[in-house]
Amino acid sequence: MILKTLFSQLLTKPATNRFPAKYMPKSVLGFLGRVKEGKATLVPPVPVPPRFRGKIAYDREKCIGCQLCIRVCPARVIEFLPEVKKIRMHVARCTFCAQCVDACPVDALAESPDFLLSDTDRSSAALTVE
Amino acid sequence: MPETQNVYEIPIGPIHPALKEPIRLTFRVEGERIRGVDVRTGFAHRGIEFMGMKRNLIQTLYLSERICGICSISHPIAITLAVERAAGIEVPPRAQYLRVIYSELERIHSHLLWAGVAAHELGFDTLLHLTWKVREQVLDILEELSGNRIDYAIPIYGGVRRDIVPAQVPKVEAMVRYYRGLLDELLDAFLRDPSVEARTRNVGILTAEEADSLCAVGPTARASGLPKDVRQDRPYLVYGELGVKAITPRDYGLEPRGDVYDKAVVRLLEVGQSLDLIETCLVEMPDGEITSFPKIPALLAHLKKAEGEGLGWHEAPRGEVIHYIRLEAGVEEPVVWKVKAPTYSNVMSWVPMFRDQEVADIPIIAASIDPCICCMDRVHVVRDGSEATVQMEELLRLSREKTDRVTRRLSPVPRHGGWA
Amino acid sequence: MSALHLVWQAAAVLVGGGLLGLVYKGFDRKLAARMQARIGPPLRQPFLDVGKLLVKESVVPKDAVGWLFRAMPFLAVIASFTVLLYLPWGPFPAVLRSGGDAILVLYLLAVPAVAMALGGFASGSPLATVGAQREIVMLMSYEFPLAVAVVGVVWRLATLGGGPAFSLGAIAAAPLWAQVGPLGVIGLAILAACLLIVTPAELSKIPFDIPEAETEIAGGLMVEYSGTYLALFYLADAAKTIAMAALVVTLFAPYGIAGLLGLSGAGAQAVDLVFHLVKIFVVMFAAVTTVRVAMARLKIDQVARGFWLQITAVAVAGLVLLVLDRMVVG
Repeated sequence: MILKTLFSQLLTKPATNRFPAKYMPKSVLGFLGRVKEGKATLVPPVPVPPRFRGKIAYDREKCIGCQLCIRVCPARVIEFLPEVKKIRMHVARCTFCAQCVDACPVDALAESPDFLLSDTDRSSAALTVE
Repeated sequence: MPETQNVYEIPIGPIHPALKEPIRLTFRVEGERIRGVDVRTGFAHRGIEFMGMKRNLIQTLYLSERICGICSISHPIAITLAVERAAGIEVPPRAQYLRVIYSELERIHSHLLWAGVAAHELGFDTLLHLTWKVREQVLDILEELSGNRIDYAIPIYGGVRRDIVPAQVPKVEAMVRYYRGLLDELLDAFLRDPSVEARTRNVGILTAEEADSLCAVGPTARASGLPKDVRQDRPYLVYGELGVKAITPRDYGLEPRGDVYDKAVVRLLEVGQSLDLIETCLVEMPDGEITSFPKIPALLAHLKKAEGEGLGWHEAPRGEVIHYIRLEAGVEEPVVWKVKAPTYSNVMSWVPMFRDQEVADIPIIAASIDPCICCMDRVHVVRDGSEATVQMEELLRLSREKTDRVTRRLSPVPRHGGWA
Repeated sequence: MSALHLVWQAAAVLVGGGLLGLVYKGFDRKLAARMQARIGPPLRQPFLDVGKLLVKESVVPKDAVGWLFRAMPFLAVIASFTVLLYLPWGPFPAVLRSGGDAILVLYLLAVPAVAMALGGFASGSPLATVGAQREIVMLMSYEFPLAVAVVGVVWRLATLGGGPAFSLGAIAAAPLWAQVGPLGVIGLAILAACLLIVTPAELSKIPFDIPEAETEIAGGLMVEYSGTYLALFYLADAAKTIAMAALVVTLFAPYGIAGLLGLSGAGAQAVDLVFHLVKIFVVMFAAVTTVRVAMARLKIDQVARGFWLQITAVAVAGLVLLVLDRMVVG
């Protein structure tokens, strides 16, 4: 009976996770700034599972510049730097399929659990991996 | 009753709260009665097949995943099956089971999503919030298994990209138990609620004959009593061994009427069927390789050498999806890539379903085929900057010309590789 | 009573009623959200909504009948707030007690619906036209059971000699339940149930939000309204919710608790006023909030049939019981 469900839900906590703050701050950026300064606490996001496909982590030392990742990347995220034979990734374009991770012959690429990547500048340092 | 002067037109779409995607339905309405409907598609045409023909096959695979966010296993499975047929690639048994598990998980989440949307169209938002709350479980499992909540990036030519490790099996089993316990509650909330029944019984009827002659697929056809399911009719992967049976309202002890209620019955029962399939797969899945090409360069090389054509089909949550692919040796991109999404087959069943219904029934009837407009839109004709309508004869002529071009190996696609 | 006194009282009721309407709307939204396992908006959200709408541009469509389109929100808001002046407020009698009775309240409650329908017809949009047609059909459907319920109660009271016929003040002063026989109690209970069913219909709330039906006709008769005009309809709806719930309370539960608590004077009045508001809240929660989260939207033909046949039959049965009770008890 739906009424039973309704009244039990009325008395229990809502299902929503109140990320990033219990009440909507006046300015989200200002709030995040205060979190950085330690003046406010962040309501944490729902935790991600162990093999989550987040922002790609890049080990520059291991990279041999074979460009295989560039060939398989469906979103053309990866740019080749010919002078140094390394790559640069524009995370703003990434679709998080992690096909590059599978393709890399030397395991220079890995899946990281980072997913809070929104930014106002698509070429910011946080969104550029090199 | 003959049409009188009182007939006026109500436009629904391309932007309308009843529609989740752009399509235009123009209804001729007399009072609250619908006298006719004109369906106009093409607002979400993205030229995705053309884009796919300019990318290598691995990139195209992920593009196919983005034909539809909800069927993001179905389209990759259909394209991998097509390419595997064209290039003669074997798929290890374990990978076949894994593909079945993923596609049944997707069916559960898609049907629950539909159930929520249907409840919302009826103005029953509580049911929407309830079903979408319980849908989180299957999304969590998909995230756990694939690493993504949507667009899972799991199938690859020759197998799958991720195994289900032993530590994950109990989690999947727990999810199956969770939904088993919940299924009765869901059936109760949808099928035994008097206000839902008042809004869905005998609304939007598609008779078995109409469904058959309009080539309806998936739950839309099955609700009319047609036992039509490609998993049963033309088995692929390991569906043949699993013995899938098409679900019709008869399995719920009802004589099929083909109304919205029956469509809800079929979809909710299919959630149970998918749970059974997942459980069986977890038990019967053999050990072994999950892909026949563990090294990507080997796969790319094999695909580049491959020559031939292939058809891949899959029973997506909304019905049969078909991918056709044609490969040429020495070319990385597919020469032809053709996609037929289930909504393409189902959209015409709207016409008999809307006939003589009420304006109030429009949203739920439109939703009852679970339309996916962006899956379906394949063509949009713009000539001299304005829209143009192409009649059937011209469409046929254009299609024949194109077939001609393709068979004479004069690819219409300008070839190039790498960065645009 | 001096004219100044009257103005002062009227101002208090109008401002208080408007604020209360918005506060109750906030509670309604919050509680509905919690029943759906959502967080929901903050309680002050209706105030923010009205404030926001008031600063937005008020668009009048090109195809609209301008003056009618503009006038109707004002008519709706005036009518719904006027009802508040004719209703007793717990221990306080109605501000305009000498000027009108239950029949006038019934008519005033119908005015916002008519205003919305006319505004819908005037907006020149097919969706609004469908909504307006539906509003008129709704109005014709629920008016009869509503009238039967209200008139039945006030008529029975008049036969008992409880003051002037159809006076709401008299009903509030002398609750009927204790004065009628067993048949009358059953009849009253039936009429109370009918009135509770009519309440969400009168307020156009699910399952009866057919004239607006967001997923079907995109807001129906409200589809072209924006800015100040929409804010006025919003306020009218808030006031009407209070008025309708207050009418139910006045007719069927006009009890105070000050006597039980042994209070007197200003304290008693304050306690009874608060108790009256709590009762209004309970009626709103039961007849509006709970119903609207527990049901799907019905169709207009289903509603019309239901109200004309079943609900009317039940209401008339209640009325017949009251008549029989009059014959037995006197």
